[in-house]
Amino acid sequence: MPSEEIQGEFRKNTSGKRLSTMIMNDYLELHRRASEGAFVVWIAIIVPAELLGGFENVVYAVPESHAALCAGKGAGPVLCEKAEGLGYSTDLCSYARIDIGTAFDGGRDSPTFGLPRPDLLISNNNNCSLLVKWFDVYHRAWGVPHLVLDIPFCYQNQNDRDFRYIMDQFGTLISAIEEMSGQRFDMDRARESVRLSSEAFKEWKRFLSFAAHRPSGITAFDSFVQMAPILTSRGTRRLVDHYRLLADETGEQIKEGIFPVPDERYRLLWDNIAPWHQLRKMSGRLADLGANITSASYTYCIGALEGEYDPYEFDGNDPLAWLARLQNFSVCPHGLNLRGKAMKEVIGRNEIDGVVFASNRSCKVYSLMQMDQMRYIREELGIPCVMIDVDHADVRKYSEEAAFTRLEALLEMIEA
Amino acid sequence: MGGARCMASKGVNEVKSFPDSLAGLKSQGHTLIGCFPLYPPLELLHSFGLTPVVLWGLLQDITHLALSDRHLQPYACGVARSLSEFVLSRGSEFFDAMFMYNACDTLRNLPEILESSLGRNGTPIPLFRLHIPAVPLSRAFASVYLKERIRALIGELEKFTGKAFSKQAFLRSTALYNRQRRLSLDLEHLAAAGRIRFADCSGILLSAGRMPVDDHITILERTIREFNGRAPGHQGIRIMLSGILPPPAALLDAIERAGLMVAANDIAALRRSYGYLPSASADPGAYYEDLYRNRYPCTTILPSADRRLETVMQTLRESDVQGFIFVGEKFCEHEYFEIPAIKRMLEAAGVRTLELEIGMDNALNLDAYRTRIEAFAEMLRQGARGSRRNKDAV
Ligand code: SF4
Ligand code: SF4
Repeated sequence: MPSEEIQGEFRKNTSGKRLSTMIMNDYLELHRRASEGAFVVWIAIIVPAELLGGFENVVYAVPESHAALCAGKGAGPVLCEKAEGLGYSTDLCSYARIDIGTAFDGGRDSPTFGLPRPDLLISNNNNCSLLVKWFDVYHRAWGVPHLVLDIPFCYQNQNDRDFRYIMDQFGTLISAIEEMSGQRFDMDRARESVRLSSEAFKEWKRFLSFAAHRPSGITAFDSFVQMAPILTSRGTRRLVDHYRLLADETGEQIKEGIFPVPDERYRLLWDNIAPWHQLRKMSGRLADLGANITSASYTYCIGALEGEYDPYEFDGNDPLAWLARLQNFSVCPHGLNLRGKAMKEVIGRNEIDGVVFASNRSCKVYSLMQMDQMRYIREELGIPCVMIDVDHADVRKYSEEAAFTRLEALLEMIEA
Repeated sequence: MGGARCMASKGVNEVKSFPDSLAGLKSQGHTLIGCFPLYPPLELLHSFGLTPVVLWGLLQDITHLALSDRHLQPYACGVARSLSEFVLSRGSEFFDAMFMYNACDTLRNLPEILESSLGRNGTPIPLFRLHIPAVPLSRAFASVYLKERIRALIGELEKFTGKAFSKQAFLRSTALYNRQRRLSLDLEHLAAAGRIRFADCSGILLSAGRMPVDDHITILERTIREFNGRAPGHQGIRIMLSGILPPPAALLDAIERAGLMVAANDIAALRRSYGYLPSASADPGAYYEDLYRNRYPCTTILPSADRRLETVMQTLRESDVQGFIFVGEKFCEHEYFEIPAIKRMLEAAGVRTLELEIGMDNALNLDAYRTRIEAFAEMLRQGARGSRRNKDAV
């Protein structure tokens, strides 16, 4: 995810400034360790990086996160075009196109010089099964082994049978990595990694909780930007420290009366992936209208069980069990009811006036329930809603004016 | 080529539209279970006395998407949109139950959307679900998981139908479906030999989804009998078709008119559906482990990715194919991620490729494709002349 300063005065605190350095260091460290012989794994976003933390010299990269960073830095279109030039359809997810465009051009045009070549690919299908197809592209091109985590879609909360199935897959994954990397898995290391992630998620939720304040202490755009280290530093002490600092500083700012949208009149919720290419523009233009997107399903789901808001805490016992139970934490693997449940909770907690459903043709899994979810929010909860078209990483598929015409209409609906 | 064009088969004429087929079955007292594509466990449903129909190939019958458009954005694929429209508009008229499994991301999003809408309208339809492992079934835990899911599904079907699972009934159903698979392959071979037009053959094969398996077997048998003895009437440059669904009849017609002959296919609703014959077993767990583990590779069967490339190459060699046409289902990511790799592989093997894309908006307006097909055919002809000249020179 990209790091950028969003709201002038507001973000210039220590945690805001330190974010870019942290992300850059994470990528530099990744390249350095890879060049020194670490075993490199590319993982899909929900693959439990903490499990990899159980190995001494295994490093991981998250292509989706790298693609978001590229999009945030304005490299989305050029990288998408490279993939399209190789025959990948413009209808495919823009993260995939960006990543393929980078990977097959030696990392050129990527702010991190791409990612080090993997020794192993691990995808999963709970966010989407296209991730599996995407990783297969590299598997075929480079002959790198590709393991898949198969996570059953959840229409209800995870049941025992699915939990056991996921645990079994973790076992296979660990054995495979042991065999390929020649390293031993250490459960205590993994436990420590999980403990730190759980702690970090608690701090993350403390940071998000400032959206309940009036005016809100944060914007969802802050959370988009600040979620980046979850994908590069998961299971580390520095992640905990960073989110603790972020939450503390945000609390301090509220005490001092510093708010991202001081004359906040409309409190909105965003449903879908961040519009990485529009963070600054969209947040600024909304602020001028007195509107603040304070919350987002994309970021409030982190660390929570399906349909919940509060973090799922680690009890100190089996780290793999915690990881398995939390395999559904993002929104995409949730059915309509679970999505609606979590959204209702956040609308209540954060006193949301209106919901922006960002219909994202790149991410069909996130988007293809939105029309019904919108109906539910509007009719059952009586909250005004609007749907705008946004591609999260391909700016060529976004029209700012069309989006703002609708956003302004939403504000009028709220006023009415 | 021309001679084969007038060979209208009785079987072809027996294929009715989807709604007409279902209305006919309903009036005969069938208990219909509407299955989401692609590869539902038809034998198991059938063994409970249900008549499964598979909801694809609806594009010809569903031309308005008024209801579906209230639920799905236009970037859902045509299969999902037409399925939704059909279920929402006429589902409760036809279906006693529905079935879905985790075939793809788009389909997994539909159950609650359809359920809640039908529920709101006071016409709910019971829905059965299955998760088929997307990891190799050679892993013991995956096979155990599949068997557990199958057992649970059996329990639900017993409750729904009020009948106990019967091994004999299951064996009978599996025998019927294997017969259907075998005959489908036979019919395909007749098309590859030029004895029946592929357009006719594909219409009959696709109709498997909308009629009872025994009726389909009857049509297959009759058609095979009718065409088996005929001299090959259709000639042309041999090509292979790939995609989720066969192209609309008008396009198949254009392909044949351009002097091409479909000698092989890798189409989900055709070869990928019946290309593998599982071993007989009275145990549904063992039967489906075999079927889902070994079935003909498909872009939606994630563990079959490596096998798919090999299978395509092998089919090309066996069928002596010179051209390959991808019939892309607009917005089907599973298919589109694979196309570049397959294309590279084919081109390296000297097989020319053409990519066509069929979406909801252009399914009925195919003129633009004809020119491309003709140009492709011309290119293949020139290629063939070139290689003949080279051979002569040698
Ligand atoms: S389709 Fe959606 S969930 Fe899948 S990789 Fe793209 S953005 Fe992520
Ligand atoms: S065409 Fe593709 S996306 Fe559509 S239902 Fe079939 S597999 Fe899914």
